[in-house]
Amino acid sequence: MRYPRLACGVAAALLASACAATGTTTTPQAAAQETAAPGFLAVADQALAPGGTLNLQVHIDSGAATGYDPQLADVATTWQLLSLSYETLVTVGPDFSVQPLLAEKWDTPDDRTYVFHLRKGVAFSNGRKMTADDVVGSLKRLLASKGVWAGQLGPVDEIVKDGDDRVKVTLKEPYTPFLAALANVPAAILPMKEIGDKSVDPATTLLGTGPYVVDNHRQDVSWTFKRNDTYWNQGKPAADTLNITIAPEEAARIAALQNGGAALATLGNVDSASMLAGAKDVKVVTQATTDFYYLMLNSLKPGSKLADPKVRQAINIALDAQQIADIALGGKGKPTAITPAGLPGSCDPATLPSAAKSVEEAKKLLAEAGAEGLSFTLTIFNTEPAPAVAQVIQQNLQQAGITVKIEQMDEASWSGKVYGKAPAEFDAALSWFAGYADPGMVTKWWNPETAGFNAGFMKPDKELSTLIDAANKQAEGRDEALAQVCAKADADAQMIPLVTRPATVAYRADQLSPSLYATEGYGNVLRLVADARVKKSR
Amino acid sequence: MRLLMWWSGRALSSAATLLGVSVLIFAAVRLMPGGFAETVLGPFATPEQKAELAARYGLDQPVFVQYGHWLAAVAGGDFGFSMISRQPVGAELLARLPITAELTVLAVAASVLLGVPLGVLTAVRARPTGGGAAGRLLSGLGVSVPEFVLGSLVVFVFSRYALGLQVGSWVPLTRDPAANLATMILPAAVLSVFSISVTARTTRDAVMGVLVEPYVTAAVGRGESPWSIVRHHILRNAATPVVTLIGTTTAYLLGGALIVEHVFNLPGVGSYIVQAVGRRDYAVVQAGVLLAAGVFIVMNVLIDLLVGAIDPRLGVMAGRRA
Amino acid sequence: MQPPGPGWWLGTDNLGRSVLPRVMEGVGTTLLLSSIAVLVTAVLSAAFGILAGYRGGYLNELVMRLVEVLYSFPAIVLAILVAAVLGPGQTAALASIVLVTIPLMTRLVRAAAVAVAQRDYVTSAVISGARLPRVLVRHVLPNVAGTIAVQGTYALSVGIAVEGGLSFLGFGVQPPQASLGVLIQQGGTYMIAAPWLILGPGVVLVAAILAINVVGDGLRDRLEPRETRSLT
Repeated sequence: MRYPRLACGVAAALLASACAATGTTTTPQAAAQETAAPGFLAVADQALAPGGTLNLQVHIDSGAATGYDPQLADVATTWQLLSLSYETLVTVGPDFSVQPLLAEKWDTPDDRTYVFHLRKGVAFSNGRKMTADDVVGSLKRLLASKGVWAGQLGPVDEIVKDGDDRVKVTLKEPYTPFLAALANVPAAILPMKEIGDKSVDPATTLLGTGPYVVDNHRQDVSWTFKRNDTYWNQGKPAADTLNITIAPEEAARIAALQNGGAALATLGNVDSASMLAGAKDVKVVTQATTDFYYLMLNSLKPGSKLADPKVRQAINIALDAQQIADIALGGKGKPTAITPAGLPGSCDPATLPSAAKSVEEAKKLLAEAGAEGLSFTLTIFNTEPAPAVAQVIQQNLQQAGITVKIEQMDEASWSGKVYGKAPAEFDAALSWFAGYADPGMVTKWWNPETAGFNAGFMKPDKELSTLIDAANKQAEGRDEALAQVCAKADADAQMIPLVTRPATVAYRADQLSPSLYATEGYGNVLRLVADARVKKSR
Repeated sequence: MRLLMWWSGRALSSAATLLGVSVLIFAAVRLMPGGFAETVLGPFATPEQKAELAARYGLDQPVFVQYGHWLAAVAGGDFGFSMISRQPVGAELLARLPITAELTVLAVAASVLLGVPLGVLTAVRARPTGGGAAGRLLSGLGVSVPEFVLGSLVVFVFSRYALGLQVGSWVPLTRDPAANLATMILPAAVLSVFSISVTARTTRDAVMGVLVEPYVTAAVGRGESPWSIVRHHILRNAATPVVTLIGTTTAYLLGGALIVEHVFNLPGVGSYIVQAVGRRDYAVVQAGVLLAAGVFIVMNVLIDLLVGAIDPRLGVMAGRRA
Repeated sequence: MQPPGPGWWLGTDNLGRSVLPRVMEGVGTTLLLSSIAVLVTAVLSAAFGILAGYRGGYLNELVMRLVEVLYSFPAIVLAILVAAVLGPGQTAALASIVLVTIPLMTRLVRAAAVAVAQRDYVTSAVISGARLPRVLVRHVLPNVAGTIAVQGTYALSVGIAVEGGLSFLGFGVQPPQASLGVLIQQGGTYMIAAPWLILGPGVVLVAAILAINVVGDGLRDRLEPRETRSLT
C-alpha cells in the first residue's frame, strides 16, 4: 500500500531519511565493528570469494506509466533499481564527491565547457561497444524529453562528438550543479543505435552498460538480476544473482531479516534500529541523505490567510525543526534550510532569520496580519513518519496560538488533493524532496515556473528565482549566494524546509559483507551493491 | 424438465447478479477521488501528459462508453492493462491466482479435516455442562479472532523467536515445493482458524438438529452403537448445511486471504487488489474485485449443484439460501 | 517505549503516550462507529426486508437483486472499494460496515416477513381495513424484531472486525484518532520491540467480538430454541 512518494524527484516514502551528516552505526556490537573507511558505513571484504546469490528486500517497486525509461524516472526507488543496469558518465562517490564512471576523466577548458574522455572497452549487455554517438544521443534525447531531469541538466547549448572517444558539452552560461546532475540515473547512457532502429524500447527493456541484467521482473512482487558477463569493470559484480523482493509491510521485512530470508533490507521506521537491537547477526545502519521534509502553505487558495507572507513567516518562526527531528524522527533527522543539510556548501539552518525569532514575534506578526486565532488543515499521507512529523508541527504551532487540524489520507488521495487541481484546495500539506547531490539543485523547485508541480499552490517570487539562478551560475563565492537564497526562501515561506530524513538499512552480517556510503543524495541504497560479497549462499 | 428450468433460471439470475456487480465496481472505481494521473505519472507531469495518459486508457470518453468497452473486453477475456506495470492484468491475475488458491485450499482442507470431526464430536458428546462447553468456547474464540490480529501476532512470534517456519520470504511452488509449503503453512493456518471454528459450530448445530429426529431415536432404541448411528444416520442428514457452509466459507476465505496476503507479503490476488486501490490502478481494481465476486457467485451455484446431488429434495424445492 | 508497568498498565507507545487511554479511546471509536452503522443497517434492513417480504412482486425482486449483488463481494473487498470512493476515514468505515452487514440482515428479515404475512392475524387485520403502514408496523415488525435483534448483534461483531481490518490496511479511521484497528496497525510497526502495543488492543478487540457473539448466541437460543439430546 505504500506508493511512489510523489515528492519531487524522490521516492518511496519510507526509503530514505537522514541522520546526522555522518552516518551512524547502531548495533549491539558497535564497538567491535570494523571501522569503515571515511565516507563509508561499511566496506565489502574483498578477501571473500565473489559469486553467490544475494536476497534483498525493499519497500516499493519502481513503477510509473513511463515504464523503465530512465530518462523519465522521477522517483528514487526507480533510480535505485534502474541503476543496477544503467550507468552514467560520472557518478557520486563518498561524501557527495563526483567520480568518473563511463567517462574516465573530464577537462573543463573554461567554465562553460566540459570535455568527457570516454572509458574504453565499455559495452552494453547485448555485447555492442558503447560509442560517443550513444553518449551524444542519450544526452540529446534527455534534453528533448519531458522528463523532469532535463531541467536539472542546466542551460546546455551544444553536445558534440569530439573524436571517437570524447564528447564535448557546452553550456550557455556557467552551471555549477552540471556534473552532479549528470551523475544521476536519468542521465544514463542508453543504447542509442538500438533505440534509433527501434529494436529496443527503453520503456519495456533494460539494456545498459551496468553490472547487472534483468532476468525477471514481476511488478510489485520481485526482480531477479543476473551478472552482466560483459561488464567493463573486471571483478565486478561480485554476486552472481540478485533477488529483490518487494515487501511493503515493514513487519514482513523485519521478519525476513531475522529469519535470514533476506540478507539486506531497507527499513522505514526510525525506531527499527532499536527494534532489531537484539537480533543475532543483524546490523542496522543509518545512511545520511539529503532528502528532507517540507511544509507547503497554499498561498493561492482564494480567501486564505496563508496568502499573507506575514502569516507564513509567523508559522515558519513557530516551527521547531529540532523538535521534529528529535521526536518524530527519533533524533536521526537534522534541521535544514532550502539547501539540504549535510551537503558541502549548504546553509546552516541556525543562521536563518526565522530561527533567531521567538514565538512572541510570531504572535506579533499574526496580530499585524489580523490572523489571531488562525486555524487551518494540514493534509498528510499516512506513511510513517509523516503522521508523527505532523503531530509535532501541530504542537509547535499551538504555542503561537495557531490551531492545526490534521487530515490524513492514503498516498493516492493525498496526491490527488495536493497536485490534482490548480488552484489547489488544501491549506497546508507535508511531503519530502530528494535533496540530490549539489546544494543548488533542489532550490530550483522553489521556482514554480520551473518546477510545475507546485504552480497550483505557490506564487512565483521573482527575486527568489533570480537569486537561485545566480547561485547556480557561480562557482566562486557560491556559499554567499546560497546563503542569500536560503534567507529569501525562509522569508517567502510558501514551502518551508523542515528536517532531513534518514535512510535505514539492515543486513545480515553472517550472510553479507556490503559496501555502503555514509551519505547519499539520490536515495540509492543499492548504489554499491556490485561490490557486496555474499558470505554463504542460501 | 422442472430441474432444467430451475437450473437455467439459476444461471440467468447468477449472470444478472454478476452484471450488477460489474456495474457497481465500475461506478465505484470511476467515483474514486484523487487522481490516477497524479499517482501514475507523479507530480511533475504536465497537463498534456495527463491528457495523453487518459486517452491511452480511454478515460477521456463518457463513462457509459468506457463501461461498454470494458464489459465487452472482459467478456472476451481481456481485462486490460495495468497502468503501473503496463502488463496485461489477466496474465498477472493468472500468475497470482495459484497463491490465493493454495491458501484457500489449505484452509478449506483444514476446515474439513479438523472442523467436521470436532463438530460431530462436540455434538455427540454434548451435555448441558462439561466438555461441550469447552469446545463451544474454543470455537467461539476462533470465530472472534480477525485475521489481521492473529496474523500480526504470528508474524511477531515467528520472527522474534526462530521457530523454523519462514515469514516474509515467499518461495514459488514451482521453484521449491517444500520451501513453498514452509512459507505457506503459517498464513494458511491463520486463515483457517475462522473457517475451522465456523465449520465445527455448524457441524455441531446440524448434527444436534438431526439427533432429535425420530429415526435417530429409533436407532438408539434398536441399540445401534453410537458410531454406527453417526455414520449411517447423522452424517448423511447433517451434510447439507455443512456442504453449504464449506462453499460459503471458501468464498469468504478470499476476503480473508486478502488480509493474510498483505500481512505475510504473499503475491496473491488479494495483495494485488490492495496495492491497486492504493494506486488507483483502475483496470486492476476492476478485474480483481470482479474476479473475487465472480468466484463467490460461481461457488454458490456449485453449492446448489452439490446439495442437489446429496439431497434431491432440497436443491430444487427449497431455493436453498437461508 | 515502556513495557507495561505501574502508571501505564498497557505500556507506552513510540511517542511516549500511555497505551491504556489510547485503547479506551480506540474502543470508544470502534464501538460507536460499529453501533451507529448497525443501527443504520437495522433500520434499512427492516424497511426493505419487511416491504419486500410482505409486498413481494417487483419490489421484492429488486431488493433481493440488490442484496444479492452486495452479498457477492467479500466483506473486506467491498469495504476497501467504499473507502477508496469516500476517502479513508470514519465515514468510509461506517458506510463499509452498513454495506457489508445489510445483505444478510435484509434477507433474513424478508424471510421472516414472508412467513408472518401469511398468518391469520395479519390477514384479518388487512380484511378489517387496516392501512399498509399500520399492518407493517403493528403486526409484521414485532414478529421480525427477534431476527433483527439476533442479526444486529452478529452484525455488530462483523462491524468491529470490518472497521479493524479496514483501518489496519490504512483505509479506515485515520490517526491521530485512535480505533482498535488503527492501534493494531500502528502497533504492528513496532511489534518486535514493543509487543504490548499490539497485544493490548488485540486482546480487547477479540474480547469485544467474543462477548458480542456470546450475547448473539444467547439471544438466538432464547428466540429460536432447539431441542438437544445426547447419544451417550
